[in-house]
Amino acid sequence: MLSLYRKLLRLYPAEHRQLFGEEILTVLAEEREAGDRRIIAQARLLTRETAGLVVGAIREHLRVPVEIQAGLSAVSRRFAMRNGFRFPKSTIVFMGLILGGVLTAIKKGEDIATSVPHDIGPVTPVHIQPVHSILLGGMPLFFAFFYAAGLIGWAILFAFRRSGVHRLADISGEQK
Amino acid sequence: MGSLPLTEPVLLILLSLAGQSQHGYAILKDVERMSNGRVVLSTGTLYGALRRLLEDDWIERFKEEESSRGRQAYRLTSQGRRNLQMEIDRMKHLTRLASLRVALKES
Repeated sequence: MLSLYRKLLRLYPAEHRQLFGEEILTVLAEEREAGDRRIIAQARLLTRETAGLVVGAIREHLRVPVEIQAGLSAVSRRFAMRNGFRFPKSTIVFMGLILGGVLTAIKKGEDIATSVPHDIGPVTPVHIQPVHSILLGGMPLFFAFFYAAGLIGWAILFAFRRSGVHRLADISGEQK
Repeated sequence: MGSLPLTEPVLLILLSLAGQSQHGYAILKDVERMSNGRVVLSTGTLYGALRRLLEDDWIERFKEEESSRGRQAYRLTSQGRRNLQMEIDRMKHLTRLASLRVALKES
């Protein structure tokens, strides 16, 4: 079991592994020694710890790379996208409002179309694409555009975070 | 992590360190005991939380002198203790308020 845990620890960022790796393995070994010897209990322990290590590794990779010096932290949060980062709730409200506006506009357009008298004599048929089909056809494109813009923005912030550029702000702050 | 209110696992970790300094395994067991087996932390979860608490300067890490293995142990910093006290006060206020409201409804 310990060899599996040791392998799973490789999933963690090197910094976390150096700081806590041996300690985590010691705790896991202690847990195994002190725990219930029955197969079911061992299987439960294995499942819990494996899931914990995998999820923990993912969370650590998503975190800001920072140096910990025995509890001392000198981290600038300027570019930090911490675990707690979420899209603001207002985004959902605005998206809902935009969608509502588009649907209302389509409905209004249809109402106007039905209110216009149709007995205006023979008209040469001209193929005009209905407004709603244009709008509905354009909507996925519209959302795809904003999704791509958001993704690019996120990628830029992620690159900043990984490059450690925010630490430069700390250095210049300390020199003042 | 460093913001209030705290999640239950973090609160239990801090409570575990409130009385005395502890090493990783002792914290795991203490959390389980305090919650009557309801909160069972995995080692990965525990060390993720410890790391964030270290970063936020709520706890500090040191080498246990008396341990033959020279293990790392954790204790609350003055800031961590202050924040824990704030959280306890917040919970006390909530409990008092809840009791009052429920009593009012019953009467």
